[in-house]
Amino acid sequence: MPPAASKDVFRAVADPTRRRILDLLAESEQSVGELVLRFSMSQPAISQHLRVLYDAGLVGRHREGRLKKYRLRPERLRRVHDWSAHYAHFWTDKLGALGRYLDKPDH
Amino acid sequence: MARTLVFDVDYPHPPDRVWAAITSSAAIGEWLMANDFAPELGRRFQLRAKPMPGWSGIVDCEVVELEPPGRMVWRWKSDHIDTTVSFTLVPTPTGTRLHLVHDGFRGPRGHFVSWMMRGWKGILRKRLHGVLERFETIVEGTALTPARSCR
Repeated sequence: MPPAASKDVFRAVADPTRRRILDLLAESEQSVGELVLRFSMSQPAISQHLRVLYDAGLVGRHREGRLKKYRLRPERLRRVHDWSAHYAHFWTDKLGALGRYLDKPDH
Repeated sequence: MARTLVFDVDYPHPPDRVWAAITSSAAIGEWLMANDFAPELGRRFQLRAKPMPGWSGIVDCEVVELEPPGRMVWRWKSDHIDTTVSFTLVPTPTGTRLHLVHDGFRGPRGHFVSWMMRGWKGILRKRLHGVLERFETIVEGTALTPARSCR
């Protein structure tokens, strides 16, 4: 029941390469070049993965000299892994809908 | 690390009417999701919503308890969870109280969620020591949502 705001996060971490990138960024900040050394992938491919993670709000970046460094932004992960929180909203909605259904006069 | 969601909702309608609304496929289709439910013990059925990234939109259910006119329990399995949902109806002076318990959120299930959990905990250990304690409390505490009424 992920709310719309979380869907990009789910999409982003559905890919094993991107999960591995996040694992590495959890260890320390990395530049694209440093990340490329850890994968058998081209720099454009890694950059593309970083873009998806960045758009999902899972990584941040800043300049360090002429390098762009990427770092993990862990806040969003906490929100999406907690399924019970999603269901709390879900049932609040549904039990309200049940009330409206019962209030209709035709049954 | 199990969590339980508990809801108590008072409806100004008699129990038989509420019972009918939670045990009829057509009614469930109106207030919950499209389904092929039937009020039979052991009945396996699906609830279906629009899929979205991260969720198939399908819940596989089974009627594991059925005691008309006041109690029904479903097994509720979806992408990352294997849980139970129980409905208990209690007559009140003004109508019916529905006591709904969604139980068995046992934290990480499947590689995706377990990866997130491991990742998150690792990150916290390394970088966010202060927040760690608070987060552990949230996840491992029994998170009872307060009883609430929809009206």
